[in-house]
Amino acid sequence: MKMARDYDHLFKLLIIGDSGVGKSSLLLRFSDNTFTGSYITTIGVDFKIKTVNVNGQKVKLQIWDTAGQERFRTITSTYYRGTHGVIVVYDVTNGESFANVKRWLHEIEQNCDLVNKVLVGNKNDTPDRKVVLTEDAQRFADTMNIKLFETSAKDNINVEEMFLAITKLVLRSKLEMQERQNVTQNDTVNLRKTNKQGKKKTCC
Amino acid sequence: MGSRIRENVKHFFECFCEVVPPTDQNEPWIIQQYPDKYKDQEVLKSVPKFAYPYKFQNDVIQHYSFVLTDLESKWTFGFCRHDPKSETAIVVLSYLPWHQGFYKFLDTTAVLMHSSRSEDLREFLTAVYNAKIAEPGRKFIVPINRGESNFSVDVPRPFQLPSIPENRNLTEYFNAVDTHTMSVIFASMLFERRIIFTSKKLKRLSACVQSANDIIYPMIWQHIFIPVLPMSLIDYLLAPMPFLIGVPEEVFKQVRRSEIGDVVILDTDANTVETPFDDLNSLPQEVVTSLRKQLKNKQLGDGVSRAFLRALVQLIGGYRDALKFQPGQKVTFDEERFIETRPPSLQPFLREMLHLQIFQQFIEERLMMLNTGQGFSDEFEFEIEGYSAKSGSKLKQQYKEWTTTMKKEGTAFFKSVKDKANPAMKSAVKTVKDGGKGVKSAYKGLRSKLKDNQGPHPLENGLERGDKHRSAPNSPTGKRRTIAGFSAPVATYRKDAALALKSSAMQRSYSPLSPSSQPMSPDVIESPRSGSPIDIPQIDLMNEMEDLLQLRLETPPVDRSLKPVRSLENFKNTSPLNSPDRWALSRASAPIASSPNRFFLQNLGHSQETQNLLQSPDDVFLSPPSVPPRNLAKEVGRDLFSSTPFVVGGGHSENGDPLFFVANQHSVDIVKLSPPTHSPRRKHNQETEDLIRLDSASDIDDFDPLKSKSSNDKTKLPLTISNPLYTYENTGAKQNGGVSNQNFQQQNRDTRNDQDLLQEYGLNFNFSSVQNQNSFDPFGTSSKVNMKSQWTKFE
Repeated sequence: MKMARDYDHLFKLLIIGDSGVGKSSLLLRFSDNTFTGSYITTIGVDFKIKTVNVNGQKVKLQIWDTAGQERFRTITSTYYRGTHGVIVVYDVTNGESFANVKRWLHEIEQNCDLVNKVLVGNKNDTPDRKVVLTEDAQRFADTMNIKLFETSAKDNINVEEMFLAITKLVLRSKLEMQERQNVTQNDTVNLRKTNKQGKKKTCC
Repeated sequence: MGSRIRENVKHFFECFCEVVPPTDQNEPWIIQQYPDKYKDQEVLKSVPKFAYPYKFQNDVIQHYSFVLTDLESKWTFGFCRHDPKSETAIVVLSYLPWHQGFYKFLDTTAVLMHSSRSEDLREFLTAVYNAKIAEPGRKFIVPINRGESNFSVDVPRPFQLPSIPENRNLTEYFNAVDTHTMSVIFASMLFERRIIFTSKKLKRLSACVQSANDIIYPMIWQHIFIPVLPMSLIDYLLAPMPFLIGVPEEVFKQVRRSEIGDVVILDTDANTVETPFDDLNSLPQEVVTSLRKQLKNKQLGDGVSRAFLRALVQLIGGYRDALKFQPGQKVTFDEERFIETRPPSLQPFLREMLHLQIFQQFIEERLMMLNTGQGFSDEFEFEIEGYSAKSGSKLKQQYKEWTTTMKKEGTAFFKSVKDKANPAMKSAVKTVKDGGKGVKSAYKGLRSKLKDNQGPHPLENGLERGDKHRSAPNSPTGKRRTIAGFSAPVATYRKDAALALKSSAMQRSYSPLSPSSQPMSPDVIESPRSGSPIDIPQIDLMNEMEDLLQLRLETPPVDRSLKPVRSLENFKNTSPLNSPDRWALSRASAPIASSPNRFFLQNLGHSQETQNLLQSPDDVFLSPPSVPPRNLAKEVGRDLFSSTPFVVGGGHSENGDPLFFVANQHSVDIVKLSPPTHSPRRKHNQETEDLIRLDSASDIDDFDPLKSKSSNDKTKLPLTISNPLYTYENTGAKQNGGVSNQNFQQQNRDTRNDQDLLQEYGLNFNFSSVQNQNSFDPFGTSSKVNMKSQWTKFE
């Protein structure tokens, strides 16, 4: 099995945000296996896979999405447990979707500050309909100490960059963790073990 | 809100499908559906996958359910019936989680698919689809066979705890695993783990997953919920977030365990849990201790459900102390106060609970109930009152004052209350008004439907048109019922299938009247003893009974260790025919005598057993296509029942003469009765008799001993608040729908009244236990223990 592995790292990411903010489009735009069907409307969960190259390392990303998140006033930490990174999406033309992710990010901040995350304002392609100003979003992102990306899945703007950024964040965390492990245990690198460590670290 | 069950459901079902199994070359596919206007392609694409989650051999009739989740994360239930004698599976999709009712529906449908009259199936589906859904606690009744019999389903009351053996899912779960295992899973759900159930049997798998969710009531699983995972979706086990997924064993074999990470795995066949966590011991010890004690004490009835409910009351019932009532503002919840007011021993765990999605949604839902004026009005709240009566009154006073203020201010709050008060009922009423497709039109009978169908309907089944005038009802027997609009492709398929499939059993299902009749097959029945052609459904009674026996032996309703071969004699005693008043003869001719089989009758009252049978997987048995009129039954009943054989169904010959199927251990005979004194063709609106109904009243309005209560208290409640509540049970006092101010005495008295009424109707489900009732133990521990011992005695 190890031999067959076609990647150096496997990361599981979550994409969260109200329905209608374009999560699926972002995933579709990003994913390299467009032939797989979507199951979000039938089992309430979906994921897409893509392998990216970061600093010469093959990173396989699984990005997971679940249905009906807007029903949650808060998304609690159990949801993030077991994931490496979170992509938080709002719709720049929809103020409410921004309000929701702000609340959710506060919750993540409180409970799993170790999880990596990026803030994404999608549908940034029709300026006259934009209601969430870049300055406001940026200010908020700064206070939360996270990166902001304004994207358009439709026009393929900034999507790749955003995914690459979260991948780098997650990879850096993992490598830092490995480093720490090696320092403390003075051990050889064991991919399996460190993988597990990385997971534990991510949340609560 | 927290509930994942839809409100404002307009139809009993959304779509009925017949699904062809996969072959080496082809995926499973839908061969016909009703109504044709159902167009959700994603769902229709998924149905075959869930109907055949993997290639399997089916030896017995198997019912199971699957769940689809839409974008709003609301659930659509798929109920599935596999019959070894049928080449295809039938599936019905509905927003209603009424498992027992839909299995019964599928059984009735299966019978009608083999009906000699080609319109029967479509008429039935149309009638059910268009019928207005009855109010909670009532019966949903739709006439079938041109009004000769009824299809009826008990509409579950809100806030009813799943009960053993009435609730099939819980009974299955309870039979499959022990209460310790249930507790471990319960605890893991409270930690929102990734949880996998496995089983060889789809029936067990789906029932256990559904029950696991029922057991955390008043909370509701908010995460991925897939009671049956098809092979093609196996990768979804890689999901990093919490899930509760039922994985058929064949599918699970394909899973690479190293890839799925930390999961709790319950093998429901072996009753073993594999878990990297220690969740049960991580619950506060006092909660675990009392849960164990409760589970030991009572298991039958809602004992198991209530034990878990009480554990949750102990854990989170104190949410009430953290409610903030401020005049003119919505009720809010103070998390810190919630922790501080709890005993120190609970506090660490409760702090964790704040981060549970299921807890957050629970609080949201409670606040919604309060803010919309529904108050403290469900089984959970009732149980809290039992737990800490003192805090209750003060709180209610607060709530009352708050409500009064809100009313005075006449804010928008209570406008929304009105809207939300009973959306289900409102919409139902609206449906009737607008569409005219409600009960009334359904009751007009199927003849009018027939006319409709003969009109310029785009879906008219052209092939069947020639058969419309049913002068020779025995003729169109070779081909099975098809739904209009699909007949041509179906017919083609049938031929192909018949060629492709060598199995004689399967072929027989397609030509049940083939001359190659065998003994003990319905073909024997078909041979016209009376000399006249007989219009009876082609139900393979002997085989149905074998299935039934097999099922019962395989999964006895309560005691898993139950092994002795039960003769048909048992079924005689437990037959639904024993419903008193239904058939006056049954009481007289099935005397409560000293037969050991009658233990249940003696201890519980026979209707409990009747109900047990009703809810058991053998519902086929209970949905005969048509039933003789009551007066005839009275005339001939004694003769039929005084001998060993017993009536398992009834029908009519072509000229309307009633027929009975009389079964004994070795054969099924048909008995024709002399013509009745009045015309057997009854008026459309006349209620017809139905073997399967528990009640004896000939009008639905006559029935429902709890009616007055429900009309006072229940009408304000939505059909579904949060928990799928399936059982039909008399727990009037415990329903407590909005009657939170009543004291226990009052409630007990009500229960008594209800009980009296019910008894009068022969429905004394738990009369014996009521006598042992005390305030906090409405079911009476001692009597439950007795019941259990009676069960084991039967070994």
